[in-house]
Amino acid sequence: MKKLFLILGFIAAILAVILAVTPLSKLAYIPSVAALIFGVLSLITSKDNKQYKRSIQLIFLMTIIALTLTTYKALFTEAEVGNTEQLEEKEDQLEQESLDELDNIELEELDSE
Amino acid sequence: MIKHCIFGTIYVNTNVINTKHITMKLLLSTLVVLSSFFSLAQNKTIAAGEKLTYSASYNMKGLLNELAEVTMQTSEVKTSKSTLLKLKCTAVTYSKWDSFFKIRDLYESYVNPKTLTPYLYNRDIYEGGYKKFMKYKFNHKTKTVASLKRKTRRDGTEWEEKKTVKIGSSTRDLVTTLYHIRNLDIHKASIGDSQNFKVLFDNKESIVTIKYLSKETINTAIGKKECYKLSIAINNSDVLKGSNNNVLWLTADANKVPVYAKFKIAVGSGELKIKSAVGLKH
Repeated sequence: MKKLFLILGFIAAILAVILAVTPLSKLAYIPSVAALIFGVLSLITSKDNKQYKRSIQLIFLMTIIALTLTTYKALFTEAEVGNTEQLEEKEDQLEQESLDELDNIELEELDSE
Repeated sequence: MIKHCIFGTIYVNTNVINTKHITMKLLLSTLVVLSSFFSLAQNKTIAAGEKLTYSASYNMKGLLNELAEVTMQTSEVKTSKSTLLKLKCTAVTYSKWDSFFKIRDLYESYVNPKTLTPYLYNRDIYEGGYKKFMKYKFNHKTKTVASLKRKTRRDGTEWEEKKTVKIGSSTRDLVTTLYHIRNLDIHKASIGDSQNFKVLFDNKESIVTIKYLSKETINTAIGKKECYKLSIAINNSDVLKGSNNNVLWLTADANKVPVYAKFKIAVGSGELKIKSAVGLKH
């Protein structure tokens, strides 16, 4: 049981750290909470067993790092649009092409209205 | 007696003919009124120089992730013979997503500024490495669309496909339909009313049903607004899931600005929230 909680705690903590560095950082809250729960559970089940103490500390450390990073990202990074230069160039090129084509198109309907 | 009988018969016949005439006239006038309402509806809502900015989010297990910025912009363009209205929609992913799944989508339509009848439609999309270009050239006299599809193969070479598609008299492209919905007289409709629109997408005509659900007041980035709540459904398509899961909120004023949209697709749900609106007509 002790080992199971420890392994699950590790998996959840690693997942939280990985998610925290990706753009999906908000999702890191879910494994973080799970890692904390498993960490506490393994702390209770292992009691004073020194063999597990360091591993449990590592789980908590990783979870805290993931949570701090996620919260920082959620509070201080604003969503910004990336480089749109290519799109703007394409827009200009398309407009020119379209206007050339619209010159030939029959616009009688437009004129008659 | 005979004469009387004959006259009597004639009298009855003219009565029948008269009733037929009246019914025909009524039918014709209704048709004229209806067709003028649907196809030649005057543009009272959309002006050149309008820019609406939205933020698109994807809902993942209850956590909303901001994905992209969507803009809807109008401008005036001049050809040698006339002045047209250009309707443009773009979708651009936020920079944090660019290295994972970059989206640079452009949809534009050149329309008659008075009636919003489309003449030319361009769709140029780039979605995570997938490229596609579509062009529709509308010919309303022959009720056909000359379509051009351009795709890029995996090795980088391009291929083209040209087609002529038959369309109905009221068929529009996607962008024009979006703007046309804003131009509808929703204030005259009552709750529960619905209307069908024919939309040309990927060389196929689909029927989109818009239903007026209710009036609701919601908080938006441009203030607290009273809105018309409309549901959107595409017949014979699996793109949008459910019947009342795809909802659009349009402000209940003369501008009918789309301020909020919720949609459900095969892999989850998302929403579109307005960030700013400038250059509105009213």
